[in-house]
Amino acid sequence: MENILEIRNLCKKYKEFELQDVNITLPKGMIMGFIGENGAGKTTTIKAILDIIRNYTGEIKVFGYDNRKDNKKIKEDIGAVLDDMFFPEILTPNDINNIMKDIYKNWDSELYFKYLNDFGLPKTKQIKTFSKGMRKKLEIATAISHHPKLLILDEPTAGLDPIARNEVIDIFQSFIQNEECSIFLSSHITTDLEHIADYITFINSGKIILSKTREELLEDFGIVKCSKEEFEKIDKKDFIKYKKSKYEYDILVENKKDFYKKYGINTIDRITLEELMVLMIKGEE
Amino acid sequence: MLGFIKKDLLMIKSNIKIFAVLLLIYVAMAFQGQMDLSFLLPFMSVMIMMSTFSYDAFNKWDAYAVTMPNGRKNSVRAKYLATIILISITTIIITVLSLIISYTKNNTIDFENIIGTIFGSLFATILLQSLIYPAMYKFGPEKARIGLMTIIFSIAVIGGFLINYIDLSSIIKMLDFIGEYLIIIFSMVMIIMLYISYKISQKIYLKKEM
Repeated sequence: MENILEIRNLCKKYKEFELQDVNITLPKGMIMGFIGENGAGKTTTIKAILDIIRNYTGEIKVFGYDNRKDNKKIKEDIGAVLDDMFFPEILTPNDINNIMKDIYKNWDSELYFKYLNDFGLPKTKQIKTFSKGMRKKLEIATAISHHPKLLILDEPTAGLDPIARNEVIDIFQSFIQNEECSIFLSSHITTDLEHIADYITFINSGKIILSKTREELLEDFGIVKCSKEEFEKIDKKDFIKYKKSKYEYDILVENKKDFYKKYGINTIDRITLEELMVLMIKGEE
Repeated sequence: MLGFIKKDLLMIKSNIKIFAVLLLIYVAMAFQGQMDLSFLLPFMSVMIMMSTFSYDAFNKWDAYAVTMPNGRKNSVRAKYLATIILISITTIIITVLSLIISYTKNNTIDFENIIGTIFGSLFATILLQSLIYPAMYKFGPEKARIGLMTIIFSIAVIGGFLINYIDLSSIIKMLDFIGEYLIIIFSMVMIIMLYISYKISQKIYLKKEM
């Protein structure tokens, strides 16, 4: 399968934070959800992919091209929604259309205005009069109106109400219908990712700690609920993390079926991405 | 490239009302002989362009621009080209208004004097913008604005100090000597200043971590 995005050994040092050997592979036609707590390195990784930050080591390839050397070639086919980075707010959606049609070869004014209509966004009002949700919808409409092959989205659903979030997710899903297109998105709203992501990559303190298909994560991984006595009998190699609550132990296991076969404990729940995040970050080894 | 220039020009257009009102007030003052209109050229051009830098910084446009094809190169180039377009338009407007004011007040047009003053203002405008843009890209609009004030203040203080010690007549003699070449020489200096400034800004921007 052809890869649309490949990150190899990405390292970036700041005074108080470091990205360490980040490796990510996104195959064509797939959606990758990029999760992690605030300050884990999601935005830094996205900024490196987009060449917004430069002094890093490692290799980033988009569509098989180096993201710095072949900048122009790859940027025509990337659409980006970034957290708090956009056009100056004194401009209007009409201005954006006027500007973008001279920036992207494939800019589709008709499609852009269709999205504005669908989202109920005014065309002639300055962006500064927009609510946070309206602004986000405008950012999304702008990112996808030049028919990109890769969408890079940093928290695209943050600030949207549930209805708008659904609209946006529908757009992402119809975008991905074209098998040439892929999405790399970071989000705190893990339930959105459970619906749309094919792959989940989890970053914590600048390191990738997990990268699996959604099926692997949601079908194979599980939370075992057990008593202290049962917990003490379990081999440490057979679980990833655990959390002790008042009456029971929550244990994160990589394979529910194997665990059940070995220990016979049948109080194993399916895991949600939110539970996975909490256990991976707050749990003990 | 054109898209990036349009972005700066559309931003200027959005704020044009404020500057139009300012222009009207100054024109009224110029009619009453309270001030020379040529002073407006550096003042307005620098103010207008600095406001675009401030809006860019506020919405982190620079980082967003990098996500576009050739965003790093085109963003800086467009800022300088938009500046040249703006200065050209402002110069034409102010020249025409100055000629009208001169004719209305005196029934004659002191062409040489007006063009000379406006050319001087144009030189000051280009000098200021050439100095301030690399600072804008390096330090951001807030710090660069303080830098601009410092430059203007320093020029005033140093100029005021030197004027007591320099034999002005020798400078005037020298300017007379190069007389007919004056405009050509200063025009070339302006182009060189702006070009060097552009190259420095681009170098800063190409390496910049947004």
